[in-house]
Amino acid sequence: MRASLVLALKDLRLLSRDRAAAFFTFVFPLAIALFFGYVFSGTTAEPMRVAAFVESASPAADTLVRALSEDGAFVLNRVESREDGERLVRSGTAAALVVVPASYAEGVDGMLTGAGPHLGLVVDPSRRAEGSMLVGKVHEVGFRTVFSSMADPAQFGRALDRMEASLKASDMSASDQFAIRAALGRARSMAAQSSKDAGAARASGASGASGMSGWKPVSVDVTELAMRPGIPANSFAISFTQGVAWALFGAVLAFGSGIAEERQRGTLVRLRVSPMSPNDILMGKALACFLTCMATEWLLVFFGIAFFHVAVSSWVAMAVVVAVTAFGFSGLMMLLAAGFRTEGGTQGAGRAVLLVLAMVGGGTVPLVFMPPFLRAASNVSPFKWAVMAAEGATWRNWGPDELWMPLVVLAAIGAVGLTAGTALVRRSI
Amino acid sequence: MIRVTELRKSFGSVRALDGVGFHAERGEVLGLLGPNGAGKSTALAICTGLIVPDSGSVQLGDAGAPRDPAARRLIGLAPQQIALYEDLTARENLVFLAKIHGVHDPVRRADELLDMVGLLPRARDRVRTYSGGMQRRLNLAAAIVHDPPVIMLDEPTAGVDPQSRSGILELVQRLAAEGRAVIYTTHYMEEAQRLCSRVAIVDHGRVLATGSVPELIAAHGGESVVTVDTPSGARITRTREPLREIERALAEGGATAVRIDQPDLETVFLALTGRRLRD
Ligand SMILES: Nc1ncnc2c1ncn2[C@@H]1O[C@H](COP(=O)(O)OP(=O)(O)OP(=O)(O)O)[C@@H](O)[C@H]1O
Ligand SMILES: [Mg+2]
Repeated sequence: MRASLVLALKDLRLLSRDRAAAFFTFVFPLAIALFFGYVFSGTTAEPMRVAAFVESASPAADTLVRALSEDGAFVLNRVESREDGERLVRSGTAAALVVVPASYAEGVDGMLTGAGPHLGLVVDPSRRAEGSMLVGKVHEVGFRTVFSSMADPAQFGRALDRMEASLKASDMSASDQFAIRAALGRARSMAAQSSKDAGAARASGASGASGMSGWKPVSVDVTELAMRPGIPANSFAISFTQGVAWALFGAVLAFGSGIAEERQRGTLVRLRVSPMSPNDILMGKALACFLTCMATEWLLVFFGIAFFHVAVSSWVAMAVVVAVTAFGFSGLMMLLAAGFRTEGGTQGAGRAVLLVLAMVGGGTVPLVFMPPFLRAASNVSPFKWAVMAAEGATWRNWGPDELWMPLVVLAAIGAVGLTAGTALVRRSI
Repeated sequence: MIRVTELRKSFGSVRALDGVGFHAERGEVLGLLGPNGAGKSTALAICTGLIVPDSGSVQLGDAGAPRDPAARRLIGLAPQQIALYEDLTARENLVFLAKIHGVHDPVRRADELLDMVGLLPRARDRVRTYSGGMQRRLNLAAAIVHDPPVIMLDEPTAGVDPQSRSGILELVQRLAAEGRAVIYTTHYMEEAQRLCSRVAIVDHGRVLATGSVPELIAAHGGESVVTVDTPSGARITRTREPLREIERALAEGGATAVRIDQPDLETVFLALTGRRLRD
């Protein structure tokens, strides 16, 4: 065992001196994570993209949406359901979702009776700056549209009509109804008179609000999407788990040809003449791969946490996931070594096989965005289970009842790979 | 110290060893002299437990066969192919090997060996940057990190400049003088002649003859050629007793020059196989 550790440390030192292998094991996965993170986040100089969902169409809602889309600060994308909108926010395509509730029209109408209109805003918490700017914008635009509808005598008249109608339907006493009707009549004539002042206020936008003592026409209810478990905080949460696939790819490839390299360099003879048994030698190789897998996955995790708001759900879960993943991929490395007995074979055909597995397993298309058939096909890829476990310990916020599945698969790959792979490779030692 | 009997080994249809036997004791250098493909490396691979013979046996003192790790500790092997980690430094190579052999103070042992093969000044350079001769010397040092009593050197001077070569030969002599058994394969008969207390001549997987160089020459070298130049011309005589022939020529008088061509290992090899050592 001590000799195996010495052998593993020697291999790690050799890896650190092989610039290409070290690059693909430690730097490339980070680069991939950053690349996909930025690609999906769309945090460029483009105007902010905002999704809007109107629960039930009404003239007031239409006016609001039109005003929002005419505002130059963002590009509005109208969606058919709240879920569609949230998906856009989750994937980073939209910075936020504006929800115009069914009660909005009523709220506009009911402003005089005090309830006021209400809007929902679902934001990506990692894009808080954009989110709070948006809250201000929605207030402003909402106020403008509400105010303009009040200033429009025809629309205001319709609102009063509706109030009268609802009055009729109510079970109020006849004398009360009479009194309210009289008030509504006065309001009608007042509105006609004040339409000129309102027009002026509309022209100066939100500033008009200050003239109305403390009147807050629109209340905006902000929901942070990631506050709910199981949703990635941002595109980096996803891209960093993709990076895990590439980190493991690099580690497995770096050590999969380890035995073949020792044989080709003639150093295997030295190891075999030493007191080490073939099992000790193979254990050393597996240990080197295990340590590298651990190092590169932790590196990704820490980098993600430090710079990209990647959140770990539980450190214990993460530690277990990283260790079991490293075990599983040490087994995969041994199978690779058994399948391809030469350095050329591993780096050629072996690399191709691994590449396909890594791509199918969530290395390029993130698992969450995969169409169903691809997601089913990805089950054959060990990388999928590693990515899934990494997701489980980060943004998916999985507990043991959900994490067990990928962990069991990874542990099985490790166990089978280390026993079968070792048995096969030992024959060629 | 090491006793090898009746080793046979075939690779498919190639019969690499066909009944090889030899032994080597502490304090001696046994040369295995033979042409390419004679089976020297195969014999060493069996002696170190790297391959299993079809039949025959290897005994290491009282420790048993080399497949047993305890017996294997008694052997050091410098393979014919240079076997080093090119991206490690010379010191790192030796420290690593010392550690897997369980040597007590690996760094001190490494430096001791580096000094012994004259590489201490280059200890911190990667092996990749070494010359062929330097790599050969390190390859030898790597074989003896654990200070084994039996040392097997497979053509340790292949591709080496004359200066490195004489350094290596001196080192081998010293190792044997200190009480180790050295088995030394080569196809350079000058090396065998200079270095080896005994030589086993190997061809086609068989040991054709074993003995000290004078013994081999006496047994298989045949006659010396004595050339006596006289004013009337050169007289050439083949004889097993060249000195007596010269005495006779001098007694007869008139000799202007005498030359003796004594048989050497090359002649021995030719006599035994009908071929020259290096064709
Ligand atoms: N692993 C192997 N597979 C097949 N044939 C082999 C193998 N090893 C050796 N041989 C054959 O066995 C014979 C003896 O080879 P060996 O390497 O022992 O010769 P050698 O005396 O060391 O030669 P050289 O001086 O060229 O190193 C050769 O014919 C060689 O082709
Ligand atoms: Mg050889």
